[in-house]
Amino acid sequence: MKISLDWMKELASWDDEPEVLASKLTAAGLNVEAIEHFEQTYPGVVIAKVVHRQQHPNADRLSLCRVDAGTGQEVQVVCGAPNVREGLTVLFAQVGAILPGDFKLKKTKIRGIESLGMICSASELQLTSDSEGIMELDTDLPPGTPADELYGFKDVVLDIEVTPNRPDWLNHLGVAREIAALYGTKVSQPRCWSSQQSTESLGLKIQVEDFEDCPRYTAFVAKGVEIGQSPLWMQNRLRAVGSRPINNVVDITNYVMLEMGQPMHAFDQDRLSGDTIFIRRSEAGQKIVTLDDKEHELDGENLLVCDQDGPIALAGVMGLANSEVTEATSNIVLESAFFAPRLVRKTSRALGLISESSYRFERGTDWGMVEKAAHRALYLMQEYTGARIISDWADRGDPDRKSNEPVPLRTWQVNRVLGTELSTEDVAQFLQNLGLKVQPMGNPDAINASAVNMMVEIPTFRRDIFLEIDLIEEVARCHGFERLAAGKGFKRPAGHIRRRTDEVQSRVRTWFADCGYNELVTSTFLSPGDLEKLELPEGDVRLQTLSVINPHHGGNTQLRTSLLPSMLEVARRNLNAGSIVPVRFFQFNRTFWPGGKAATDTKHDAEKLLPQEPFFLQFAIAGLDSLGLDGVPDDLLEIKGVLNSLSEILRVDLKPEAGNSELFLASGQQWRILDRQGKVVGSAGRVSSPVLKNFDLDVPVTVAEINLDEIDLTPQNVEYQPFARFPGVTRDLSLLVPSSVTYQEIEEVVREGGGVLLVGVELFDVYRGKGIPEGVGAYGIRLKFRSDKGNLKGKAVDKAISRILKDLTDRLQIEPRSLD
Amino acid sequence: MKETINRLRSQGAVLIEAADTPALVEAARVSLLGRKGEITSLLRGLKDVDPQDRPALGADLNLLKTELAALLDERSSALAVGQGSSSGVELDLSLPGKPPVGTGTTHPLLSVMESVCDIFYGMGFTRSDGPEVELDYYNFTALNFPDDHPARDIQDTFYINDQVCLRTQTSPVQVRTMERTEPPLASIFPGRVYRNENADASHSSEFFQIEGLVVDKAISMADLKDTVDTFVRLFFGAAEPTRFRPHFFPFTEPSVEVDMQCVACRGAGCGICGQTGWLEIMGAGMVHPNVFKAVGYPDDAYTGFAFGMGIDRIAMLKYGIGDIRLLYENDLRFLNQFRGVL
Repeated sequence: MKISLDWMKELASWDDEPEVLASKLTAAGLNVEAIEHFEQTYPGVVIAKVVHRQQHPNADRLSLCRVDAGTGQEVQVVCGAPNVREGLTVLFAQVGAILPGDFKLKKTKIRGIESLGMICSASELQLTSDSEGIMELDTDLPPGTPADELYGFKDVVLDIEVTPNRPDWLNHLGVAREIAALYGTKVSQPRCWSSQQSTESLGLKIQVEDFEDCPRYTAFVAKGVEIGQSPLWMQNRLRAVGSRPINNVVDITNYVMLEMGQPMHAFDQDRLSGDTIFIRRSEAGQKIVTLDDKEHELDGENLLVCDQDGPIALAGVMGLANSEVTEATSNIVLESAFFAPRLVRKTSRALGLISESSYRFERGTDWGMVEKAAHRALYLMQEYTGARIISDWADRGDPDRKSNEPVPLRTWQVNRVLGTELSTEDVAQFLQNLGLKVQPMGNPDAINASAVNMMVEIPTFRRDIFLEIDLIEEVARCHGFERLAAGKGFKRPAGHIRRRTDEVQSRVRTWFADCGYNELVTSTFLSPGDLEKLELPEGDVRLQTLSVINPHHGGNTQLRTSLLPSMLEVARRNLNAGSIVPVRFFQFNRTFWPGGKAATDTKHDAEKLLPQEPFFLQFAIAGLDSLGLDGVPDDLLEIKGVLNSLSEILRVDLKPEAGNSELFLASGQQWRILDRQGKVVGSAGRVSSPVLKNFDLDVPVTVAEINLDEIDLTPQNVEYQPFARFPGVTRDLSLLVPSSVTYQEIEEVVREGGGVLLVGVELFDVYRGKGIPEGVGAYGIRLKFRSDKGNLKGKAVDKAISRILKDLTDRLQIEPRSLD
Repeated sequence: MKETINRLRSQGAVLIEAADTPALVEAARVSLLGRKGEITSLLRGLKDVDPQDRPALGADLNLLKTELAALLDERSSALAVGQGSSSGVELDLSLPGKPPVGTGTTHPLLSVMESVCDIFYGMGFTRSDGPEVELDYYNFTALNFPDDHPARDIQDTFYINDQVCLRTQTSPVQVRTMERTEPPLASIFPGRVYRNENADASHSSEFFQIEGLVVDKAISMADLKDTVDTFVRLFFGAAEPTRFRPHFFPFTEPSVEVDMQCVACRGAGCGICGQTGWLEIMGAGMVHPNVFKAVGYPDDAYTGFAFGMGIDRIAMLKYGIGDIRLLYENDLRFLNQFRGVL
């Protein structure tokens, strides 16, 4: 809400600079977001006297004049106005003057004669729309005086953020009340029309279908209106607060709305039919044209103002074209009413019509302002449109309407909530300063949970106060938050450590970063086509998505069921941006799987409408294409290694088991990830080439995804075991292994044969090629033996080795290459 | 004795220079400075010198001892460098170092979230999470947003259907927590929230918030101020003044917005704070009685405060990030700048 201080000074008084006023208002809850300086000036336009006029030698309708503009030299200028004559005092725009519309005046030649400026009409200076000739001034100011002395306007405008609970701040009078409360001054009421006794009849009736929809409707008539420009001061103020002047009647209704908060509408009386105004609901399918010339179809729920023939206004939202005030209007019906906020809001939303009027009605207007604001508008119409006001008026109101109940307030609760030690008198004084009526109750010094210390009457302009807490907020505002003492420190729950899930996430993210992985925060929304690109099999749970029904323009709608698209997209963008491969990423994020949540909280039946939100850890390497041990790609080995380490640092089982489970991973290059109980909790492997291609990636990507919600994150207990302090013995085996045998099989046989003495098995080399038969690999395996009973004898180790070698030969057809 | 000292000064230096293995350096050390070495025996001999000359000779002897020790150290470290290199050539220690494992980064947004959480853990708060796809009931109704009230316009909401939306705030977790917990309680609720708006430098349709809630028999606005001030002091390091501005949120009353003195200009006014000298950092207030009613707490039994802040904004302030979209692009040229931020 823009507040003009030029306007405000008629309503309230204060003795501070605008900046200080602004900071006081901000502290009181009227957050001043900007202080603007509004100027309507006419640089280069001065008062001048027409010294000489003659006919333009080359044009019948033009005059050639010399004017005294106070420069000491007479200036030659061509003028087209019929009323220009010698001796006239005029407004003269000199060469270089800047006229409204940012038009800069230049020296020019008109029909061959040089013209050094312009004698201005009122419309050229946007003073009025009257362009009938140049302005004739009646002033004693000497030539050369800037026009700004007469017509300039400077204002300071405060742009105030108004929260939805305070519609009473959407006008100057409401803000004036706060200023008066802040400075201990009084609000000056604007001048209003007062009805005189007369017998003249209005000739207009009102019929309200349902007082729920429209608790009050009043109508007044102004006769003999002359439509024209509104007075300059009014136009200036309207412009200063961002409202475009239109004509005197419309400007007056806008002006009063901005001044007192009551939206009003003026109808052209001669365009209405019948003598009754009806307020009723629309019919479904009914079509109307609003005064912005747009057609709308109604739904049967919209509140209308109608004459005998049909709708003339969408109540509280906008008038219709059929009854709009025009240049030709001379008689006016002025509507001032109270419409139900809900209905105005509904119509405004449904038709996409948001007006200054609907904005105020839907937030709630001041019941007490209906009549008063109309009287203010009528006064201004009488003064500035030449109207004659019919003293009779029509008024229909809900006879059963109750005024607000007074609200009880306990000083005890004020101090309990605010942590203050205010007295009942302090509290009462604060509320009175805001214009609330306070009725003391009982002993003011009785301050306890059951002692109501006052009943507070709520004025009609405060639609936000119903409860004790609403009054406490007012006390807090007046007392000032800066005066709150520091708390005594609330009693905190006894000791607390992080939850395991938070601990895991915290640990894992720093560990990943230290391992060279970069953490991502990616969008919950899928991009169009993401799921198709994943080539998921038909019936895959991830193909079922939830979508938002009201995305913003161009926005994505589907909630993701997989983190993979986001990671591939990040990889692609970073590689395109020239990142050096390989790049490594990880992210913790939720996915959204429709189909219902297990009803853990049955408090609300609707809970089953919510999706599952499994929380995933994903990590990936892109662009690592070197080969590791035995020709297995390094990225596959690294991902598996990361899984092993992760499992160790969390003391949670995460076992990779080779096997195909995901179509988006390459066949034979993936694992299922199993938990302690053997349940599948994730997958890992190389992203298949069709999927890479779909995402425009031309480097290998290996990824692992773990559903953290499926894992029991309780760490395995650590229990200290006594360990042997005797030295161990290391032996290397070199084996010729047929290709059909996996390393896992070898290790199982080796460990079995090694028995309790074998404490470590490590594959350190695999060699194929020269010197080794086709279809066989030379494996180097290091074994570590140790006994907890004493120093190991070479014999015992030899015995174990030969048992291992025998088992390897017997069970896996593996022969030793040589024995070190 | 003076001559002996001078002789030792020149001979010692030659001896040390000539030692070209660590063993020889060690031998020189023993013969010069050892228990039976020459310096030691000279020091012992001081007692036989004329008492008048004793202080000057003593000082000179000690100086010599220091000089020789320095020469010995220099020589032995020179030899040690040569030792590591097979060829005996000096090592180029200016070569780039090799990280032990890797050099990745945590995301600044989540790091800020974690350090904010840690501050509240330290103050005794526990943590709860709630769903991101939330019932309209928890996101609005239970939080005292009347149906069809303009207050709902403040937040443009993504709807899945008429009962289910993407949460626009972390506040619904307040309600869920109170429904299953009897006070006293002090909890934080961090998480991702959604607003239906187009992205620009300061808006994102997805962002992160953290909400805090404290409820007990006599929690006051003064306790809120205390908590907020403690947080600001611990997080931003200095005792930045804060101010409470009255505001409106349906689920708290009185409601305030909390401003902190601008970290960049210390209140003088600059581009970051829009010349006001203040930065808005959170919304807060006393839990509205209607919210207590919705979760089934008896009338008048409890009071409490709640606060909520945007983690993105805090991160942007902390690191001088001017465009919120950077936080969601995951560009490595951005992320790499936060290496080492925990």
